[in-house]
Amino acid sequence: MGERRKRARKSHADLARLVLDMTRERGMRPGAHLSEQVFAESCAVSRTPIRAAFKMLSENGFLTARPGGGYALAIDADAPGALATARLDTQEDALAEMILADRAARRLDDAPSVSFLARRYSVSRVAVLNALKILQAEGIIDRLPGQSWCFRPILDTPRALADSHQFRLALEPQAILTPGFALDPRRALVLRRQMQEMRAAGEGRIAAAAFARLDAEFHGLIARGAANAFMRDALLAHHRLRLITERDSGVPEFRLRQSLQEHLDILDSLERYQFDIAADQMALHLRLSRNPRPDAANRGGPPLLRLPGAALRAGPP
Amino acid sequence: MTRPPVVALFPEASFGAALNCVAIAQALRAQGAVPVFICHPGFTGIFVEYGFREYHLHPAARPGPAAAPEDHWQGFINRHLPHFDLSPFDQLATYVGPTWAAIVDTAIAAEPSLGETIARIRPDAIVLDNVIMFPAIANAGCPWIRVVSCAETEIADPRVPPYLSGLDAGDRAECDAFRREYRRVTATASARYGALRRAHGLTPLKPGVFLELSPAMNLLLAPSILRHDRAHPLPAQRLRYLEGCVRTEARYDVPVLPANDGPLVYLSFGSLGAIDTALITRMIGVFADIPARFLVNVGGFPDAYRQVPDNVYLAGWFPQPSVVAQCDLFIHHGGNNSFCEALHAGVPSLVMPYCWDGHDNGRRAETTGTGRRLDRAGWSDADLRAAILGLLADAPMRARLGANAERMRADPGPQAAAAAILGVIDESAVGRDTPRARTGHGA
Repeated sequence: MGERRKRARKSHADLARLVLDMTRERGMRPGAHLSEQVFAESCAVSRTPIRAAFKMLSENGFLTARPGGGYALAIDADAPGALATARLDTQEDALAEMILADRAARRLDDAPSVSFLARRYSVSRVAVLNALKILQAEGIIDRLPGQSWCFRPILDTPRALADSHQFRLALEPQAILTPGFALDPRRALVLRRQMQEMRAAGEGRIAAAAFARLDAEFHGLIARGAANAFMRDALLAHHRLRLITERDSGVPEFRLRQSLQEHLDILDSLERYQFDIAADQMALHLRLSRNPRPDAANRGGPPLLRLPGAALRAGPP
Repeated sequence: MTRPPVVALFPEASFGAALNCVAIAQALRAQGAVPVFICHPGFTGIFVEYGFREYHLHPAARPGPAAAPEDHWQGFINRHLPHFDLSPFDQLATYVGPTWAAIVDTAIAAEPSLGETIARIRPDAIVLDNVIMFPAIANAGCPWIRVVSCAETEIADPRVPPYLSGLDAGDRAECDAFRREYRRVTATASARYGALRRAHGLTPLKPGVFLELSPAMNLLLAPSILRHDRAHPLPAQRLRYLEGCVRTEARYDVPVLPANDGPLVYLSFGSLGAIDTALITRMIGVFADIPARFLVNVGGFPDAYRQVPDNVYLAGWFPQPSVVAQCDLFIHHGGNNSFCEALHAGVPSLVMPYCWDGHDNGRRAETTGTGRRLDRAGWSDADLRAAILGLLADAPMRARLGANAERMRADPGPQAAAAAILGVIDESAVGRDTPRARTGHGA
């Protein structure tokens, strides 16, 4: 598959995932009609890519084509596993995704061999190599001399999460302050609508995975606006890593809505060209987003009296 | 001019109590009150993420050499992990006695700061979900409400087996021996606690008792299916049993696993239980050969695990109510919140207790037919496999639990608790002839 076609497919797959998230946030039931116009407006794209996303969802069983034209929701979006969308990926992307998921789930060693991976996934060595090259480009695995590959650190331990937080706190506000920072206004508009819609979703309707995708999009938008190429690239690579390996889903819904509001406030400041305020808001947002977990015992255990100034742990004891 | 009533919730520094109070606070907020939290330092930021204001106690300097909090915690773990393999009776001297001593220490240390904090909040009522009374609460000048979110055994009765014993009330001799030993191992802590109470104008409690019933209202997290038949029924006018107390959490999508067939089993031993990585590693080894999917809460210790089987998924935290609602079996330590969440979702429990009221709930699961108990120290691979498969295949238990869950959901605990708390505030306002705290709610 050519690079352009691959990119187009990935873009349609991303849009398709967004459409599915929205059906759930809107509480749509099986059989509900999906309007091209409405979803095109919500996603701030033309009807052509929406049509392509609908077609992809229909081909993968999420939607059904109606005899008279248009599409209806074919699944119960609230049912467990209903929105598992790995089948929207290309074969190579899907394999890369599986390898990464297995790495994050601690099923694979630090340096798996190509032949082991080929056996595990029942695919050819060439397919494994292609998937590993995708992960290499994402900065997730390194090729060592010879035929071996070695995973780089991912966000799978309390320490790694703490390091990630520190890294973002150092760079993200500074990215906004780079002279020449420029927000992509079209993309900002799209994200604003999506975040407003998610924030307005009913109680219990915000899915952690959908939030994580939107959160990565927002922080990616900020990174792309930086006028410093090294900062931009470092942040984009890190946000990709977060999206695919961070698996902390214990954030209460109240905080998710609050976090979306903080994103919107940052966008407001950026659109008013108040970059110093936006940078401060970003620092505050990141500090508030550091998910605290108690340093305390269960019932029956004496509580740990934490001294003032002691650092929060990134994960539960 | 009226203002919404302010309710200060003060949960013990444990997940169970904290999240139980979050559920009550969510219901209080929905009913127009302003819930705030008095917060142990270890819980900083937890309640804020649910949208509640936190007030923090300042920890007094601990006696003994200064140690980093992490060292203190690690020391606690190292000291007590071997004790969790002992019988409830043998834990009395090794774990329960020292733990009560530590709890009394924290009550003494917290007293000055707690008094100042309550004075800052000026609450219309205080909700205490703890195992010990703080004189500052009794002397706060507003009604206080006790939440018993431990097992019902916490409130003693001749027909109820002794607290933390894991015994059956019919085992008279064993129950009596346990009660005697309990009083013996808590005698020093009781005496120190009695002195604290006297110093603040309160009458000391009986030996081995650290918390009295509230004169205003007591909320017991004891669903009907678990409740004990008491020789001395609790005073109905100041008592409300709660049929579960489950908070609202973000939705959890169960991940697709490489081996994605079969029923879903969730394992969580709570934050303290996650320290026993050797036990959980051994259990995961058994899970690998069972045709089911397993979600395993490993707390802050993901590094301890390698070569995770294809039907097992580890995470450091799960939004438990959302996960339990989707699973077919819940393996837990018998923490009362975990047990009640399983019942609320109609899911059987496999209880592997390691301390405290986990022993009582393990026994209760067997007695009431709501689950099974498995000794955490003495099981074989075949025992664990048989227990899991047996519970998954027990259709009559599932049907019974499903019907019970419907009854529980018809009487939501958080809303009942909130109404009872606001009723107390209403009565108190009438008594004080002040309109500011009237809520219009009945208990």
